[in-house]
Amino acid sequence: MIINHPLLGPRDAAEFVYKGDVSLIDRPDGMAASLEEMHDFVHLRDNPAGAHRELWYHAYGDRSWLVVTRDTTTHEITKVELARDVARGRGRSR
Amino acid sequence: MAELDFKLDAAPTLGGLDRVIGANRLVECADMALVSIAIPLGGDTELSAALSRAWQIGVPSPTRSNDSGSIRAIRSAPDQLLLLFPHSGPDAAETVATQLGDTGYVTDQTDGNVFLEISGPQTAEAMERICPIDLAPEAFPPGASARTMMEHLGVWILCLGPQSFLLWSPRSSARSFLHAIETSYHHVTGQ
Amino acid sequence: MSQKMRIDGGLIDRDTTLKFRWNDRWLTGHPGDTLASALLANGEKLVGRSFKYHRPRGIFSAGPEEPNALVELGRGAARTPNIAATTIELQDRLYAKSQNHRGPLAFDLLSVNDLLAPFLGAGFYYKTFMWPKAFWEKLYEPFIRSAAGLGALSGKADPDIYDHGFLHADLLVIGAGPAGLSAALAAGRAGARVILADEDFRFGGRLNSETYEVDNASGSDWATEVAAELSSMPSVRLMPRTAVFGTYDHGIYGALERKPDAGVGETPRYVQWRIYTKRAILAAGATERSIAFPNNDRPGVMLAGAARAYVNRYGVAPGKRMAVFTNNDDGLRTAQDLRSRGLSIVTVVDTRAGDQVTGTSGRQGLRSIVVNDTQEVEVDCLAVSGGWSPTVHLTCHHRGRPVWREDIAAFVPGPDLPPGMTVTGAANGTLSLGSILHEGHSAGMTAAAELGFTGSAGSVPTASDEEVKITPFWHVGEAKGRAWVDLQNDVTVKDIKQSQQEGFESVEHLKRYTTLGMATDQGKTSNVPGLAILADARGATIAETGTTIFRPPYSAVPIGAFAGRSRGKHFRPTRLTPSHEWSAANGADFVEVGQWMRAQWYKRPGEAGWRDSVDREVRMTRGSVGVCDVSTLGKIDIQGRDAAEFLNRVYSNPFLKLPVGKVRYGLMLREDGFAYDDGTTARLSETHYVMTTTTANAELVFRNLEFARQCLWPDLDVHLISTTDAWAQFAVAGPKSRALLSRVVDGLDLSNDAFPFMACAECTVFGGTPARLFRISFSGELAYEIAVSARYGDSMMDGLITAGQPFDAVPYGLEALGVMRVEKGHVAGAELNGQTTAQMLGLGSMVSKKKDVMGGKLAERPELARADGLRLVGLRPVDRTASLRAGAHMFEPGAPEDMAHDLGWVTSVAYSPELSHMIGLGLVKEGAARHGSTMRAFSPITEEDVMVEICSPHHIDPQGDRQRG
Repeated sequence: MIINHPLLGPRDAAEFVYKGDVSLIDRPDGMAASLEEMHDFVHLRDNPAGAHRELWYHAYGDRSWLVVTRDTTTHEITKVELARDVARGRGRSR
Repeated sequence: MAELDFKLDAAPTLGGLDRVIGANRLVECADMALVSIAIPLGGDTELSAALSRAWQIGVPSPTRSNDSGSIRAIRSAPDQLLLLFPHSGPDAAETVATQLGDTGYVTDQTDGNVFLEISGPQTAEAMERICPIDLAPEAFPPGASARTMMEHLGVWILCLGPQSFLLWSPRSSARSFLHAIETSYHHVTGQ
Repeated sequence: MSQKMRIDGGLIDRDTTLKFRWNDRWLTGHPGDTLASALLANGEKLVGRSFKYHRPRGIFSAGPEEPNALVELGRGAARTPNIAATTIELQDRLYAKSQNHRGPLAFDLLSVNDLLAPFLGAGFYYKTFMWPKAFWEKLYEPFIRSAAGLGALSGKADPDIYDHGFLHADLLVIGAGPAGLSAALAAGRAGARVILADEDFRFGGRLNSETYEVDNASGSDWATEVAAELSSMPSVRLMPRTAVFGTYDHGIYGALERKPDAGVGETPRYVQWRIYTKRAILAAGATERSIAFPNNDRPGVMLAGAARAYVNRYGVAPGKRMAVFTNNDDGLRTAQDLRSRGLSIVTVVDTRAGDQVTGTSGRQGLRSIVVNDTQEVEVDCLAVSGGWSPTVHLTCHHRGRPVWREDIAAFVPGPDLPPGMTVTGAANGTLSLGSILHEGHSAGMTAAAELGFTGSAGSVPTASDEEVKITPFWHVGEAKGRAWVDLQNDVTVKDIKQSQQEGFESVEHLKRYTTLGMATDQGKTSNVPGLAILADARGATIAETGTTIFRPPYSAVPIGAFAGRSRGKHFRPTRLTPSHEWSAANGADFVEVGQWMRAQWYKRPGEAGWRDSVDREVRMTRGSVGVCDVSTLGKIDIQGRDAAEFLNRVYSNPFLKLPVGKVRYGLMLREDGFAYDDGTTARLSETHYVMTTTTANAELVFRNLEFARQCLWPDLDVHLISTTDAWAQFAVAGPKSRALLSRVVDGLDLSNDAFPFMACAECTVFGGTPARLFRISFSGELAYEIAVSARYGDSMMDGLITAGQPFDAVPYGLEALGVMRVEKGHVAGAELNGQTTAQMLGLGSMVSKKKDVMGGKLAERPELARADGLRLVGLRPVDRTASLRAGAHMFEPGAPEDMAHDLGWVTSVAYSPELSHMIGLGLVKEGAARHGSTMRAFSPITEEDVMVEICSPHHIDPQGDRQRG
């Protein structure tokens, strides 16, 4: 696989480490969340046949976390974003 | 108690290696300093100005580097630069910090790495065996720089000129790193 | 022996003669020969025995599709079995042997299997050997195992060298026949960066084996000229001897390059390439297939295209009196070609005229054929053509399905091609030369243009365009004698029909039940006939029946080529500590810990075993002072205005108020509530911290911190740099550690008041070298860790021991470090095993309730938080002379040793020199309430059964007076 890094261009997937669904960005506030909400955040994922937004870490590159949109049925990658930008877009800040 | 008369000796990681394989040469650059600068959140302009003031260089774009003649700046991450320059003491970070003040967070990475300069007519061919990055001159011209993986090791590669590269990789695995480079030259030269 | 079957012509260098060994006889050939053509030139018809029935077999093809002529290449440890002789480029002093026979090739003892054939039909091992049941394990299976398989491995370590590599291109052209050459030429001229790969050692593909003309030159001359023009282009890379074996995601192709001139011990014999390309043109040509008729497997029966190749390319007559059996025009062409070279063609049997070959004779080589059941014709070679199958394999690796084209009776690539791939020429079902050249040229030009290369592609090469007419004909019906479909796996027409009758009628079932299409050739010549026969038996069309799924690799790839150079100790990188040289010179015994080589102890003269060394190191450290390299711990430089806030969020315990000049122990939890790493973090300035992690988790912690920084709190000003390798860090432990360091550190007041427990400072050592000093203790003693730039590692170790001479300072290794941490009751990997919470480890009170702790919420889950759960305890044998065993399980005295009564386990044990008996740590249910009680530690593996006393995990100095002293 090749991941087209938004800053560095196409790189072999061997340089990256996979983490999982992009929803891992949406960590609830542990002081406010219920046990159930936190449980769902940690353990529950959608398992789509088709477009999947997922987190990859460029371990052997610039150490950026990326959000890769990949079709799980074809492996086609349609979009690669810096996770930091995605996180800000999902309302994360400080 | 008797006064202790002891001075610390600095040892080059690979003993100051200088080796020829075929018509190619591998040299350990023992007097190279590498200092990273993290750009404070929102502080890009200030750091850029400080770099320009100190060494008349700008912040390079990703995959490229800017060379002032005495110091080279590499964009290593969205919020991070590397400065590469000849320096022999253990105080490279201080010399940079003195210039930059609080415009960047400085960390000395010199001792975390081993530096190898490789050159010679079969260098590109040797690198093909271990480097997944496209090093063709049009894709990776002099001054181009990238961090990638070679033989399970994180390696920075900087193009110095045709068939000439500076590589650096973690110090602790320096011998495995050297083995990877040497093996590649052996395999393509038959020597 | 002279090359008695050699004839004029061909693309071989007759001025040079190569000697080679075949079954321990010397034979000769020429550069340009394959082993197969040289064997034929020498009149060697019988070259191997078939897989199952050990029937005599000869050379069947002239390419990688070869099912029969598999040989063992090389000798001794370098012997490689199952290589097709048709793909082996002849070298001087090449050494090869036939395989799959017991005794001489001509008198194979296992040919008895052929007589047992009635019992060895399709699925025989599911039926014949089912009874009596006990016989399977004792008799049948050992016999089958010893008889099965093709060539044998040498059983020795492979001395050949393998390598891998990475290539980049705009366009990869797979196959250098007429289509591939014209595609590469068009794209290369236009300016694209092209890789042209072909598994053959000579470019030209079928042009080298046919008598066609291109651009008014012979086909092979044209190919040579094109290759010369391509090699003059700097942006084109020609890769002969390179088989592209797999299509992977996103334009990555796997290719295997053979280096036949490689010498053992010098350069690689194979290089496995990963090719990254924007576009690919598949021009892999087509593979001829046979017709099944009774006893069609005798040496001398070969594909018609192969017969033309031996005559035209290699200058070898495959026989003296020959016949042709065909269902298409290509077969007729064979007769024409061979006759024009003066060879004797005694008959042409064309199924379209209603004629068939219905039998053959000749034990070890063809003697005659029977035509239409009646007419016996004496021939020693029969050229058979059943039509051509496009080589579609690489189009299917993304699960593309080929489609059936009735007009050429063949599967062609379907519309679902891998992204970026175009198929051209015979691989695309285009079977006439003029059209092939045109299609190739056009594909090359289009690919280049799409990538923005607009140079002139030049003119289209021209050639005549003969149509090839075919009427499908798969097997001779109502036959007497076995008609072979898959020569490599000894599968007959009857086997296929039987498979269908027994219900295995999907192609995938057929393959598994009969083994049709398995093994090294993967059915290149047999798949299509096999499934045509299956379709017929099912009463379905071939299109309805479909094909099996092609998966990588297209052709055999030695496992060594995948391993590449990652062998032995080069399997993964080795990491050395900064004081490795000093340790090696001072008696250290090293142990692999992950990638690290660490000193486990430093042996002194007179010490009989490791325990002597370790006990001494512990005693001398606790008695005076010891020094240990702890540089393997992960180190992370953390800087930024929000660094304190960040640390407070990633550690489970509070970090906001850690003052400058202080160190704090920190515990990290996973989000699911389990503890995963611990370490210390020192505050060097308002905005600057240094974190340590465990050795094993250095990368994981760094990655998780980057995740938190970039994805959870992207607007905190905090920055992370791994500095693990930059610092040589040493633990200096023991009551004399302060005295030792006061001789090393320049002008820093080390008194307990000025530099108390958990203090840190930046300082200099040995007269000006920058250093960092931390007063932290893993041993429980008065202790420090001191760090200098890694370049000083060996020298610093030397300096510390030198400075410690008045105190008998000792270096200590990993084992002594482990003993002291068990004595002190610190947790390490055996306790931080991913299944323990802070509470279980006795660290529950550290976890803050006042902040959002990562993992804090899920650690509150009832099952994890239950009061009667596992707790860390100390263990001592009641009989102080008894030994303890890590991994032993804990039971109440008298309770049965079963799961229901299992109360925990022993995690770590050590012999404590200070206490003079063994001690341990363990996780025990309700452990905290059991201090003082007695339990049983039972190891069901070693059957050790020891009564132990449960105690505090802090075996020594539970109040911590020593480390604070």
